[in-house]
Amino acid sequence: MQESNNNHSAHLLEVEHLKQYFTVGGETIKGVDDVSFYVDKGEVFGLVGESGCGKTTTGRAIIRLYDATSGNVYFNGQRIVAGTGDLREALKAAKKEGDSAKVSRLKKEIAEAEYDHKHCKRDTITKIQMIFQDPIASLNPRMTVREIISEGLVIRGVKDKDYINKKVIEVLDMVGLLPEHADRYPHEFSGGQRQRIGIARSIVMEPDIIIADEPISALDVSIQAQIINLINDLRKNMGLTILFIAHNLSVVKYFSDRIAVMYYGKIVESAPSDELFAHPLHPYTRSLLSAIPLPDPHYEKTRQRITYTPALDSDNSQEPEDREVSPGHIVRCTEKEFEKYIKELGV
Amino acid sequence: MARILEIKNLKISFRTNNGTVKAVRDVDMTLDKGETLAIVGESGSGKSVTARAIMGILANNAIVESGEIFYDGKDLLKISEEEFHKIRGGKIAMIFQDPLSSLNPIMKVGQQMTEAMILNGKANQKEAQKEFAQKTRQLTEAIGSASSVNGDPKQSKEAAEKDMEKLRKFASLSNKMESEYNTALDYINSSVSDITDITLDMVTKDKKVIGRSVEALVPKLGKVFNTFLVDENNSGLKELAGKIRAEGKAYAASGKGETLRELLGEARDILTSSVKEDKVDFFSLGYFLTYGSEKDSFDYKSCPIPELNAKTVKCAQEDFLNGFIDKVASGLKYSYEDSLAKKQEALKLLTEAEETLKDDSIPAAKTKELGKTLSKAVERSIDRLEISKDSTAYTFAGAYSQEEALYDKAKSLENRNPRLLSRENRMFRENMDIPRYLENIRRVVSSMKNDYAQLLDKAAGGEEPDFKAKAGEMVDYLKEINSRMVYTVSPDMARDRAISLMDEVGIDEPRVRYNQYPFQLSGGMRQRIVIAIALSANPDILICDEPTTALDVTIQAQILELIKGLKKKRQLSVIFITHDLGVVANMADTIAVMYAGRIVEYGTTDDIFFTPAHPYTWALLSSMPDLQTKEKLEAIPGAPPNMITPPKGDAFAARNKYALKIDFEEAPPMFDISDTHKAATWLLAPGAPKVEMPKIISDRIERMKKAEESGNAGK
Repeated sequence: MQESNNNHSAHLLEVEHLKQYFTVGGETIKGVDDVSFYVDKGEVFGLVGESGCGKTTTGRAIIRLYDATSGNVYFNGQRIVAGTGDLREALKAAKKEGDSAKVSRLKKEIAEAEYDHKHCKRDTITKIQMIFQDPIASLNPRMTVREIISEGLVIRGVKDKDYINKKVIEVLDMVGLLPEHADRYPHEFSGGQRQRIGIARSIVMEPDIIIADEPISALDVSIQAQIINLINDLRKNMGLTILFIAHNLSVVKYFSDRIAVMYYGKIVESAPSDELFAHPLHPYTRSLLSAIPLPDPHYEKTRQRITYTPALDSDNSQEPEDREVSPGHIVRCTEKEFEKYIKELGV
Repeated sequence: MARILEIKNLKISFRTNNGTVKAVRDVDMTLDKGETLAIVGESGSGKSVTARAIMGILANNAIVESGEIFYDGKDLLKISEEEFHKIRGGKIAMIFQDPLSSLNPIMKVGQQMTEAMILNGKANQKEAQKEFAQKTRQLTEAIGSASSVNGDPKQSKEAAEKDMEKLRKFASLSNKMESEYNTALDYINSSVSDITDITLDMVTKDKKVIGRSVEALVPKLGKVFNTFLVDENNSGLKELAGKIRAEGKAYAASGKGETLRELLGEARDILTSSVKEDKVDFFSLGYFLTYGSEKDSFDYKSCPIPELNAKTVKCAQEDFLNGFIDKVASGLKYSYEDSLAKKQEALKLLTEAEETLKDDSIPAAKTKELGKTLSKAVERSIDRLEISKDSTAYTFAGAYSQEEALYDKAKSLENRNPRLLSRENRMFRENMDIPRYLENIRRVVSSMKNDYAQLLDKAAGGEEPDFKAKAGEMVDYLKEINSRMVYTVSPDMARDRAISLMDEVGIDEPRVRYNQYPFQLSGGMRQRIVIAIALSANPDILICDEPTTALDVTIQAQILELIKGLKKKRQLSVIFITHDLGVVANMADTIAVMYAGRIVEYGTTDDIFFTPAHPYTWALLSSMPDLQTKEKLEAIPGAPPNMITPPKGDAFAARNKYALKIDFEEAPPMFDISDTHKAATWLLAPGAPKVEMPKIISDRIERMKKAEESGNAGK
């Protein structure tokens, strides 16, 4: 029952109304609350926001480290994540109303979603790889570099030792490490080299898309630039698509073609990166941009930080919705704010 | 600006199983009052080690090979742990990188904030008592000896003793009055804040809880009475307290709060209006009440405070202080001259010792003996009545014995079989360097000798301090210790102070947060608590070790603003350690760029950002993208060197594409670029090839300058 819906194969990765809730001590925490975006082939999509806003959770829900509460994720036109939370709610409501046609339709949809979620092909999923934030915690200390890098291949069923070896050496070379490093253990490497191993592990599977979750924030300054350049080179040489999650806005700006800003589990604004930095519209985006420290002492002396208080700075009279103010520039706002933004852009 | 901290050729190594790691190599820096010094570098460059050396919290395997850290006339590397207790946290405070690991997880936030305040308060009191007793005793002796020169020694001693007795007597009365005043003031402040709490809580909280709070408030109201604050008989607070109690009970039963609110408001008005701006001069008042001629006829209780102060001060001045100051001046003069003579002696001994120490094979026993005589002589030569202790003589004994202990140990291990030694001693023996230990001893002695020689030269040149002014200072000092003796920090008061501090660092609802545990707070809030704790002791120097690295941009911006604001408000000197140049641009006045244990470039913020000179600074500046960067970044190749065997020449040479041949052979010295700006690179040596900084930086500087001209900085 694999769905081959043409609507979803336009983009490489499409996230549709993704929700990820957690239950902590009887309370429901909305980690990700109705997030939709898409990533096209070959582009870098940046996801920024303060800690706890749900950007990492989004990444993890996409590669199915969590079971999504609700919403769908399509990859190459195939549904790889399908949550049923909303459908079940709708089903309950429909049952109460006694709308039998709707009930049977929803039941069918739920069954389809469950089937898709369960029977998602492994080959598809391995085309999505992740680079983690902490290079120390994300490498198994008891495995050699060769084992770490080849683990994915082995799981996929590759048995040819020579092929594996060749492949490992090839990716080590690509990330700037030497063949003899393959037999060492992670603790023998410096932080930057460890992150290179993490990157090698992700590219050995020849992925279509890499989810890079704060890949440089745990590294030393002089090493950060090396890793940034490395990811950038790989992207060009391999034609990689990257979902880049970070809180350092200068780096995100440097990397990304499009950027989405997250705030409390929701995407409040998304736009091409130059457009976002030139015309930030949502008050939260403005406050975020005003907080970036720049290596310019004179500018820093005059920099004014804008604060964002949802109760004051946003129009709370009605539920905000995603609206497109200019091509590709989407802001979550109410009707009134929308008109205001259009006016601002016009001038 | 006054210099507050000075670090001179600091060298620190760590003993490890693989060898000695040379973490800090010859670091010099200075910190002025109210200045922010930023130390920039990557991990392992020695920036945190330097900061920890200032705080005296180096790890156990650290060896301070040489160097001095001067603060308040003391060499922080040489003083004892007990002396350090008074400085660490109190005078020099530190904020660590990870706020969660620097807070105690099982203690409430409020408790953690007040703990040190209360303990410190007690310690301060004891200290002041000791100091007061000691200073008055020394002063008596000096005055006695001074006047005995032209009179009967016994009689003059007795006269001095009598004066001092007089001082002690009225000082104790002043103390008593001031202590009562302070306690009452505490209770007033605490009651006012309680009343605010109750009126706020009446909106939200259960009436029974309010009833209990009112119950707790009433006894406090009974303790606020003081002659100079709330009048017990006329203010009407007593009756009001009774009414409040009754009304509180009624409220707890019925929940009708109109009258209670009114009564509380009234009480608050009485309390707040009773605290006057002028503070009574208790020292003079004490004298007036003990010895003043019209003490019985004058009603001091109802007199307005300025008038009262004028009267008592005049009385104390005319009757006692003027004569007393003369006497103190004579005592100070005597003590000064006496110490000059003793300094001469010490200088002679020091000069002799310098000669003796020139012998390279001097036995350890000899240096020990020498140290004893020298320490004694120097100790004797200190003018005990000096208030500002800014001479190296105070730390001479400690410094000498520390160096000598190393030499002694090295000498005793020199001829022993390494296999028979304990692990620790064996490690020591492997890294020991006898000539250096001896050299250090020589340096301590000769610097002391030079100090004294200079001082005596000045004195011989006819330069004599103004003893009258010094005597005035002395009396003020005694007054200050006297009032410090009675400055108790009660738990209530500590709580109020903690809450106002939390307010100051931008924590909303401080009263609620006060009773929470660290895990209930977010990262930014926790870091604020840590800052508030660091500030609670009113330090002179605040060391921030990557305080925002664990936080994200918005919170980082808030914390930086907070530190900046506090720095201005409290005239703090800040040492700011970070690797983020954006943060530095925001915070720093002066920047020291460190690499592999050395400072490679040192200058003002403008120097470093607009005319960087060292290739490492270039590399740092060009390795991070800013909002305009499009081109490929100039990454620094390779990794920092292993500091067990630091490279012979410039440590950065191996990663430096501008490295010259000499960089690999010899470490470059600091070249001065301007008065404020210097860098250690051979590129600045005369005759070096001219090298332009990377294009990415020069472009950025160009852009920054242009942006500034157009008045649109940064955009």
